[in-house]
Amino acid sequence: MLFKDQLDFVAQHIKKNKMRVFMTVLAATMGCAFLIVLASVGFGLQDSIRNDILSNETVTKIQVFGESTFTDEQVDEIKKMEHVETVLETISVNAAAQSYFEDRETSSELFVTNMQDFEQVTGKLFEGKYPTQPTEIIVGYHFAQTLLNEADRNAIEEKNKKAEAEGTYYDGNEEGYKKSLVGKEIELSLMPYTSNETESKKMTYTIVGVTKEPSYDWMIDNKVYMSVEQKDALASNFAAINDESMEDQLFYSEFNIFADSMENVKPILEKLKDKGYSVYSVTEQLEQMDVFFLVLKIGLIFVGTIAVLIASIGIFNTMTMAVTERTREIGVLKAIGASPKLIQRLFLMESTFIGILGTVIAVAISYAISFTANALLPVVLKAATGEDAFVATDITFSFIPWQLVVIASAISIGVAMISGYRPARKATKIDVIQALRQEL
Amino acid sequence: MIQVDNLQHTFLIGKKGKEKRVPVLKGVNFEVKRGEIVAIVGKSGSGKSTLLQILAGFMKPEQGSIKINKQETAKLNETESAAFRLRQFGFIFQNFQLMPGLTAFENIELPLKLQGISKAIRKEKVKKLMDKVGLTAVADHYPNELSGGQQQRVSIARALITNPPILLADEPTGSLDSETEQDILMLIQSLNRELGLTFVIITHDDEVATIAHRRFRMYDGDLVKEEA
Repeated sequence: MLFKDQLDFVAQHIKKNKMRVFMTVLAATMGCAFLIVLASVGFGLQDSIRNDILSNETVTKIQVFGESTFTDEQVDEIKKMEHVETVLETISVNAAAQSYFEDRETSSELFVTNMQDFEQVTGKLFEGKYPTQPTEIIVGYHFAQTLLNEADRNAIEEKNKKAEAEGTYYDGNEEGYKKSLVGKEIELSLMPYTSNETESKKMTYTIVGVTKEPSYDWMIDNKVYMSVEQKDALASNFAAINDESMEDQLFYSEFNIFADSMENVKPILEKLKDKGYSVYSVTEQLEQMDVFFLVLKIGLIFVGTIAVLIASIGIFNTMTMAVTERTREIGVLKAIGASPKLIQRLFLMESTFIGILGTVIAVAISYAISFTANALLPVVLKAATGEDAFVATDITFSFIPWQLVVIASAISIGVAMISGYRPARKATKIDVIQALRQEL
Repeated sequence: MIQVDNLQHTFLIGKKGKEKRVPVLKGVNFEVKRGEIVAIVGKSGSGKSTLLQILAGFMKPEQGSIKINKQETAKLNETESAAFRLRQFGFIFQNFQLMPGLTAFENIELPLKLQGISKAIRKEKVKKLMDKVGLTAVADHYPNELSGGQQQRVSIARALITNPPILLADEPTGSLDSETEQDILMLIQSLNRELGLTFVIITHDDEVATIAHRRFRMYDGDLVKEEA
């Protein structure tokens, strides 16, 4: 029998029992859609958390812990390791940097670092260039915004009061210095965190670059970065207002190792651990999280599969009825020479058709549900809890990757075929003589 | 063409574990030559239907051999037997056994579909044959819209469409009135004469047996040759 004729045959029988087939397809659709939507929550949450982690941290960064700082030899050794792009030493200064520009001033964290390494790791700036002279500095994206004069401070205080009355807060983004700071000279002094009365003498620096906007909306970055060559100048400036013992604690080094790609983080991490370093990378956290979510997703798919199995009972019933109803027809087909294999195939095609149709509709519905849930749930949750958290952050409640569609389709169509198998076998076993004796 | 030797078959009747063995075929021997009409006459329960079913390959005999066109068919498996039927046999049933959901045309077309023949060729063949057996006017009618005689004609056309060398008929006129019976018997005779088709007719009706070249009487599982 030609394949087209087989399809015709199946189509004819489906047409004859439209209602019954429709209800069976409906059950299969509901089962499969339930499976996809349920599992999509697992995929969605994983996606949200993963993005959250990745947007915060550089994935190629390996943090080094421990009190011991690296010696130059150690840095060289690590730099020589395969796939290590660079080792960046960032020295945080244990005193606030007090900056003065025109009638404005701000207080920020101060970092000293090797500008070449820093450029390699940080990449493109928001504007300007990396320092080449010792007196050139880079500032954070929000540095200009935090440079306030008296009028700004008053305005912010006003707005803050208003915001507090409404239960929110004001971040001060409408005040500060509005023009570009690149090329501007500022005066900078050091102020120990322990007291805010004594202040070191002011030094003049030129701002040559501004770093990119931090990935989080709520993060205010007004850090000041200067070249490592300024370390001695800072130390002597600071020594003038402090006793000797404090000077030792002025600088605190932090080492970060950068791999050339995310895939290479793990081998580097293992090598460093073998050598006895305490190291950490965000990819480790991702790995643990991925394992957790893998288990969660398998669990959700398993629960969803139960729905598909329930739907399969419907398919089994429909196909058993179909075979019973058509016993005489099957008998005639066999009598005039249809092989048992053909008869089995015709019935399997029918149950497969139900499975495929149910799955296709289910996939479409699932995407619709997923889209609607992602659009509506944050609004609903906001209304219910009164919190902005769900709207502000990009939480994906439901995400359907193509892999999930493939898995769910395979389960759904597979189960449909299996549940049609027994009725189809039954059809091949029909006794021709008995079947032909059946009344019309 | 058909050579049957020492065919034996027993039915088990009754409850499981307490079955009785009832012999239905007790060593049947006969031969059918090409182009012959052979009638096997017998009362109900004589074993004639069992003989036909074994001949057609719906059942396997306990013992004995059936050679059709020199091929031993008693030992074919289900799939082989189905393929053999499709090539060698046409069936004419007492109740016509038409597909209720298919038109007369589609019913006749069915064996060609099973043979995997393309639609264009099928259409041409069926049209020609319907013309020959006088069914053109009712091509689009469903079985329940046809008279008994027309239904049997459709059934005969379905049996003929694949040009099988042998036609097996089980009480071909059993459900028809005597006038229509004559029509059908004449049709069988003319097909035999014109196309040289071989017919094996199973019947309880001596009237039907009159068109046969040779006649066998089935009696309690034994087959006895009779003079035509």
